[in-house]
Amino acid sequence: MIIEQIIANGILMGFIYALVSVGLSLTWGVMDIINFAHGEFLMLSMYTAFWMFSILAVDPLIALPVCTLLIFILGVLTYFGIIRRVINAPGLTALLATFGLSMFLKNLAQFLWTPNFRYINNSIVSGKTIEIGNIVIGMPQIVAAAASIIMTVAIMIFIDKTRTGKAIQATALNKNTAQLMGINTKKIYAITFGISGACVGVAGALMSTFFPIYPAAGALYSVLAFVSVALGGFGNIKGALFGGLIIGLAEALGGYMFGTQFKYAIVFLIYLIVIQVRPKGLFGW
Amino acid sequence: MKLKLALLLVAIMLITSVMAGCSSGQPAASETTTEGEQSANVEKVTIGAILPLTGGAAATGVKLRAAMEVAQEIINGEYADLANVPLAKEAGLPNLGNAKLEIIFADHQGNPEMAKSEAERLIEQGVVGLVGAYQSSATKPASQSAEQYGIPFVAGSSSSAALTERGLNYFVRIAPNDDIETAMFFDYLIHLNEKYNAGIKTVAVAYIDNEFGVHAKEMVEKWVKEKYGALGFELVGVVPYAVDVTNVDTEVQQIKSLNADAIFHASYIADITMFVNKYKEFNVNPKAVLNYCGGFQDTQFVINLGNDGDYFAGGAAFSADKLADMPELAVINEMYKAKTGADLDGPALEEFASVMVLAEAINIAGSLDGDAIMDVIKKTEFKAPYFATGAIKFDSKGQNEILASYVVQTQNKEYRAVYPVDIATVEPVVPIPEWSKR
Repeated sequence: MIIEQIIANGILMGFIYALVSVGLSLTWGVMDIINFAHGEFLMLSMYTAFWMFSILAVDPLIALPVCTLLIFILGVLTYFGIIRRVINAPGLTALLATFGLSMFLKNLAQFLWTPNFRYINNSIVSGKTIEIGNIVIGMPQIVAAAASIIMTVAIMIFIDKTRTGKAIQATALNKNTAQLMGINTKKIYAITFGISGACVGVAGALMSTFFPIYPAAGALYSVLAFVSVALGGFGNIKGALFGGLIIGLAEALGGYMFGTQFKYAIVFLIYLIVIQVRPKGLFGW
Repeated sequence: MKLKLALLLVAIMLITSVMAGCSSGQPAASETTTEGEQSANVEKVTIGAILPLTGGAAATGVKLRAAMEVAQEIINGEYADLANVPLAKEAGLPNLGNAKLEIIFADHQGNPEMAKSEAERLIEQGVVGLVGAYQSSATKPASQSAEQYGIPFVAGSSSSAALTERGLNYFVRIAPNDDIETAMFFDYLIHLNEKYNAGIKTVAVAYIDNEFGVHAKEMVEKWVKEKYGALGFELVGVVPYAVDVTNVDTEVQQIKSLNADAIFHASYIADITMFVNKYKEFNVNPKAVLNYCGGFQDTQFVINLGNDGDYFAGGAAFSADKLADMPELAVINEMYKAKTGADLDGPALEEFASVMVLAEAINIAGSLDGDAIMDVIKKTEFKAPYFATGAIKFDSKGQNEILASYVVQTQNKEYRAVYPVDIATVEPVVPIPEWSKR
């Protein structure tokens, strides 16, 4: 009984990791720009959901569009305010710039809202569970898993089927050639950052119903999201979903078999093994 | 290129995840006093406080800072209504020409290495004593540095028994260690079995995989082997979990499979809240849950969990239901509440006490010399009307031998004293009602 429940938990956590990773796979996996503040975007979305719930009594599921829009705008502003200015700078300048943004946002959140851990315990989905045989599954996790699948499919369709998506791919392949073809690459970068933010905005709103909300809330998810994208494969949106699932299952089953204190060590071990065999990730270009 | 970036990224993320927050303590140092200065008339006396002010334990760290600031206000001000509290009636430290107490706060971010370097930085800046550092894993290296420099270190709430087993000459601790607390927990379980026929025989331990958690687990193993196993208790399993855990699903499944009558938890606020939510989700119904000094004692526990947090228990030096009998504590609590908006909790009161004890020792010594201060700390029984037991006295190892805490249980979103019987204000609820019947 316990092993089935652990597998179910692992898959659900995997979808949650994937939810955080999908947006990242756009900026990092496709555009090759690392946004270190990705986790802080997640944290800000969680706080947005929390404050809308606390002050306006708006359920996180209803607040989801607001969270999404807000973090979309933050993503666009991040591009225009930070990335655009350093995108042609040598080395790791862009990476370090977003690292600075990450620190700033984390400290700003602590300054504004204190480091207290906050929870949303009374949302529409809170405390509800579904029992399938002996397996118990929390409703918030089911909603997050569904959103994870929908979002991955939506982003894949967007990238493959729309003009903007194709422009993103073209810009990712060769920025200068894309410019010569008449693509406004600045606009494409801004849109990509915005969509990446919107994805993590969705993730934050959904995760606020079952995870603690505090200034450093995004940090560990962010680490796992980076691993998920690298594991799943650069340039492959679907890879982020599978990367997340592998991480979720690895930590659940690995923790169960080798000791729960080692579950993250097992995740990173798998990551190290995979990049030896498939340097561009399991589904990478 | 992407592979290189990926590797670099993971390395940087791992390093920076422990550096989260990046704000440090105040850089200013007192230039009025220096180590070894013997003057009886100084303008101010500076001590250092090392706390997790950013990072995962920041929520607790800022509250502990507020408690220390209350102690500082009491020492530097004149409080007629706190006549029984040492140093409260008169402003400053009388034996040092009414010198004001200054506290320089430093942030260790929950990182033991950072705690060590911050302790050394503060010592080099001339502090005459140190307090902190909440997490035992941070207190250990910080107090080791204090020892090297001959600077007294008064730990308030760090509970790892190992801290007072190192033979240090400049280290004392106010909170009961997890050795003492474990014995208290088992005595409480015996009380529940004898008086309430609770039928508690099997025990499991869920613990964070760091200094605090590992030692708590070891103390349970030790006490079951040495004493309580013979009295009918059995340790049926231990479940460790990683620091900075994102979910505890697997851990809770393992705990559920152990089916223990009682669970001992060594957890911080984020972890214990996740555990309680998962206990409810997976319908885990132990008869009793006892928490070492950590997250359960943080009032955010009942704020976040509401009635789901009811019936959990743990050791604490404070519960609001004792305020009616302890007027000094009520005044201190109001001062603290004005800063934080919440009542005191056990760790906050212990950190408050650490500043009071260090300041009183400096005052009695009439000197800023580490040896003189330490001599007073070791020989004096400090009056502590803010503790239910009323006093603090350190044994030869530096452990406060007068038990500062008692067992509290959350009932209707309030911490209530339930054991020992002479301190209890209400009867304990045992067994914990099943989730389906709440």
